[in-house]
Amino acid sequence: MDSSPPGRAVQREVQADVAALAGAIERMAGDLALGEEPSNFAVALEAGAPRD
Amino acid sequence: MTEQTLSELAAAIAARKISALEATDACLERIGRLNGRLHAFITVDAEGARARARALDADLAAGRRRGPLHGVPLAYKDLCHVPGLPTSCGTRTPEYFSSEIECTAVARLTAAGAITLGKLNMTELALGPFGDNPHHGDVDNPWKAGHVSGGSSSGSGAAVAAALAFGALGSDTGGSIRLPAACCGIVGLKPTYGRVSRAGAMPLSWSLDHLGPMTRSVRDTALMLEIIAGHDPHDSTSSPHAVGTPSAALDAPIRGLRLGLPENYYFDGVTPEVRAAVEAAATTLASLGARVETLRIPDPAGLIDVAGILARSESSTIHARIVRDRPHELGAAVRARLEIGFHVSAHDYLQAGRLRARLTRAFVDEVFGQVDALLTPTIPEPAPALAAATAPPVDEIVRRMNRFSRLTRPFNALGLPALALPAGFTADGRPLSLSIIGRPFDEATVLRLGHAWEQASDWRARRPPV
Repeated sequence: MDSSPPGRAVQREVQADVAALAGAIERMAGDLALGEEPSNFAVALEAGAPRD
Repeated sequence: MTEQTLSELAAAIAARKISALEATDACLERIGRLNGRLHAFITVDAEGARARARALDADLAAGRRRGPLHGVPLAYKDLCHVPGLPTSCGTRTPEYFSSEIECTAVARLTAAGAITLGKLNMTELALGPFGDNPHHGDVDNPWKAGHVSGGSSSGSGAAVAAALAFGALGSDTGGSIRLPAACCGIVGLKPTYGRVSRAGAMPLSWSLDHLGPMTRSVRDTALMLEIIAGHDPHDSTSSPHAVGTPSAALDAPIRGLRLGLPENYYFDGVTPEVRAAVEAAATTLASLGARVETLRIPDPAGLIDVAGILARSESSTIHARIVRDRPHELGAAVRARLEIGFHVSAHDYLQAGRLRARLTRAFVDEVFGQVDALLTPTIPEPAPALAAATAPPVDEIVRRMNRFSRLTRPFNALGLPALALPAGFTADGRPLSLSIIGRPFDEATVLRLGHAWEQASDWRARRPPV
């Protein structure tokens, strides 16, 4: 990765962006149920579909 | 001839009023005349398209109709792998990208009788909402020269709007079908996650990618959806849910359907013209019998964060080789966005996935317990001038990108069907757009509402001044 002064500035910005996103995720995820898993997303879509 | 819709052309070819070769030549003539300004196509396969058109005309003369798109010329975003044609994914890499798997959606359209005109320009690696491309030329807005065409399916938007093709495929990870549809004044559908196979198309984010149609009418979008939807063994996320025939139900009354206008988030910071256009559409739909109400929706800000973690992690993983080995081949903003993903932890990635499941369940239960569909703006402002949108510094470009796509991105995280369609024009001739969002796998209702609006308005009759 570029380590020139502008490159380092971009890197700092990148790290700040990631930290902000991670912080937001952690705040929201505090009370997630133990049984919650990523694949439940597809389950939620199927459950929300109109009844045929 | 090129002013006809896809459905009208298909009917005219079936009735042998127009030949597939005539339709193909008409598109190729426009491509030859306008692509130098629009930069909508990266690859034009004139010879292949004409040969296919001749074969299809011979088939029809012999009483063989391949399917509902027999003889209709289409074009595909240049991340769809098509046998015999290169796939650049909007990059300048000399090797281009390849796949052993043909794009399923393209294969299904071809089997239905479509003709491939070529491959359409796009934002580099599908990362960016403005339609600029340093390697293949910036896609220009057919309505207003020098303005954003929308991205990343920018060539798809411009080609369909300027009648270089009768329909196109785009892909949408954060709005990349709907943003160019909105900027170019056409119809674009991001189907439900899993509705349309992504096999054979370059991935950007496995969790958020969708393929969908871009056309000049809602009926055309419904027709293309019926052909490309359905389970595909090459895409593990594709759903077995049958799509049915939404095109057959487009004219059903919308009386009694409940339509929600969000009180929060979706009208924050939008321009007065955008707000007025969406509110006018709501009034029109109410006059047709829809029950329009305002409602508070779960705050999409959390969904934006979730999508941000998923998209950054997955896109940097997918494109790690080009970022690490050949970063000089990438534009500065694209490189900056991809590099972020290398710094996301596995813990945050998995938490984002878990959160997405909870937020989606809550959104579907809360919103669709009250209404059948949501009505929102697609873009917060009409297409801005491209030079202003892409002016450095890089961090400011990225901020502008995030602002411009802030209304579309939540529905990628939620996986819900979202239809963008014309809603009028600004005083200086730039298209306005509204979005209709429905329950998972309920594209039929979304399309029915969109068709009702389209029939009640006259925006589709306007043509760009190219």
